[in-house]
This record gives sequence, C-alpha cells and structure tokens, in this order.
Amino acid sequence: MINCKALVIGGSAGSLDVLIKILPAISLDITFPIIIVIHRKQGTDSLLSELLATKTALMVKEVEEKERILPKTIYVAPSDYHLLIEKDLTFSLDYSEKVNYSRPSIDVTFQSAAEVFSTHLVCLLLSGSNADGVNGLIAVNGYEGEALAQDPSTAQVDYMPAQAILRARIDQILKIEEMAHYINSLS
Amino acid sequence: MTKKVFIFDDNTDILELCTLILEDAGYEIKTSATSNAIVDQVSSYMPDLIFMDNWLPDVGGIEATQELKSHPDLKHIPVIYFSANNDVSLLAEKAGADSYLSKPFDIQTLEEMVNSHIGR
Repeated sequence: MINCKALVIGGSAGSLDVLIKILPAISLDITFPIIIVIHRKQGTDSLLSELLATKTALMVKEVEEKERILPKTIYVAPSDYHLLIEKDLTFSLDYSEKVNYSRPSIDVTFQSAAEVFSTHLVCLLLSGSNADGVNGLIAVNGYEGEALAQDPSTAQVDYMPAQAILRARIDQILKIEEMAHYINSLS
Repeated sequence: MTKKVFIFDDNTDILELCTLILEDAGYEIKTSATSNAIVDQVSSYMPDLIFMDNWLPDVGGIEATQELKSHPDLKHIPVIYFSANNDVSLLAEKAGADSYLSKPFDIQTLEEMVNSHIGR
C-alpha cells in the first residue's frame, strides 16, 4: 500500500456531485491533504469552498498564494489560476496560458504534484467532458505514484475518466460509492 | 408542500452550486441558462420565487423581468435580481424586481434571501 502524502482530485462537468457525495464519508483521521482542482468559471470560488465545507468537518479552504500545505485539510484550487505545488510544500498560483482550454488545468497540478510527492502521490480523475488530467496521470505513472479514475459508468460525463483509462495506467477504477472507503484506506 | 425556485443564469457553475445549496435547504429547484421564451419557461413550472441574472443570452435580465412583471398570471411571483454589477440595485429597480442580491454571495445570504420571501 502506498504511503500517501497527498491526494489530488481533478474533475470537470459532473465532478461536484461526486465530491458532495464522498466528502461526508471521508475520515477525519486522514493523514494527508486533499487538493481539489475542478474546472469552473469565475465568480463561484467562495461559494464552492463553502458548500464543500458543509459536507465535512475537515478544514476546507480555497488555496492562497504561497500557502503551506498541511495534512487533514481540503484545499480547493481557485478559478482562473493554475495551481502548482512547490518543493518546499507550499502552493503557488500561476496565471499563464490555459492548458486544455482550462485554468486551472488538472494536468498542471497533477504533473506538479508528481514531481514533488512522486511515489507518495495519489491522483483521482473524476467525471468531465475533456481530457484534461490524462497527461497528468501519465506523469504520475512516470513517478510511480498511484493513478485512480472514476468508473466511467458512474460518471455524469464519462469522457474524462474513459480517456484516462484508455491512455494512462490506472491502478484502481472506482465507483462513487467505493471512493471514500478507498481514500480512508490510504492513511 | 415544497416551495419551488427557478434560477436564470448563464453561468452553469452558479446554477449547479445554487441548486445543491437550495436543495439541501429543502427547496425544489429548476434552472435555465437562457431567457428565451421566458414566459413559457416560467408558466410551465410556476415557481414560488425567481432568481434572475443580469446577463442572459437572448433578452437580458431586465427585459425578461419586465416581461414577467407585466404578465397577469406571473407578476405575483417575486423576482430577485442578481448580478456582480456594482449597480445591481439600480438594475433591479429598472427591471421591476422585488429585491436584489450582489454577486458574489455566501450560502447564508442566499438562504436568508430565499427564506425571507418564501421561507417555511
């Protein structure tokens, strides 16, 4: 079993519904941070973090520039910035060009996290309508982290996890009802 | 009986978030990203409350609200005008809306606004 130092969850259309379902079942005793990168438009940041916070007793917060990454905390990527993880275990926010038409790009965060956490990283790609995140999972494969994908048959929009399964090496394909248990087992 | 809220906004993320929040609060929600055929949309659902965004495809929020407020069967339905525009109160007044909500807003403000109009 992997010694998980960080879990990064990426998703797009249909992923918020999954998060709402799994957050209440995630143990308060997890030993790692959960970093959430989902595509969305500007103007919903605080509302999203606030909504997620109603689903868990874990600390939920929107990432701030240079913020230190702490365990037992759920971090939400702000809209319109790429979210990068630095080697000193802080976040940085980047306003460079969109990747896969997306900012934040899931690929950018997965890749960045893979470089820092390598074999101690777990990345989960949820429902979505484009392939952002797939190259990130391939990078996770390269660093021998763990790559997870939502079972496409349980996804509102199956393209994103289906592409992941097609193109990356996926260690576990998870149904929505299996996710929280699996995440809890990583501690 | 569950009270119904109809939310008009071209930002689908706002629609999704508000739906999750207000369904949790016990309301039934319908959403639309367009003001096209506004009278038909509202007539077929007959909500207890409407949220109307300022920027909508087809006719804008002002014209859509005016259309609803001039319709004999729909004018009694309260309309909350919402926008990130600094002049949201003036826009709401021009539209003939019953009240307004500035974006961004938090969950408590949203729920209080709904409860104040149709709270159980």
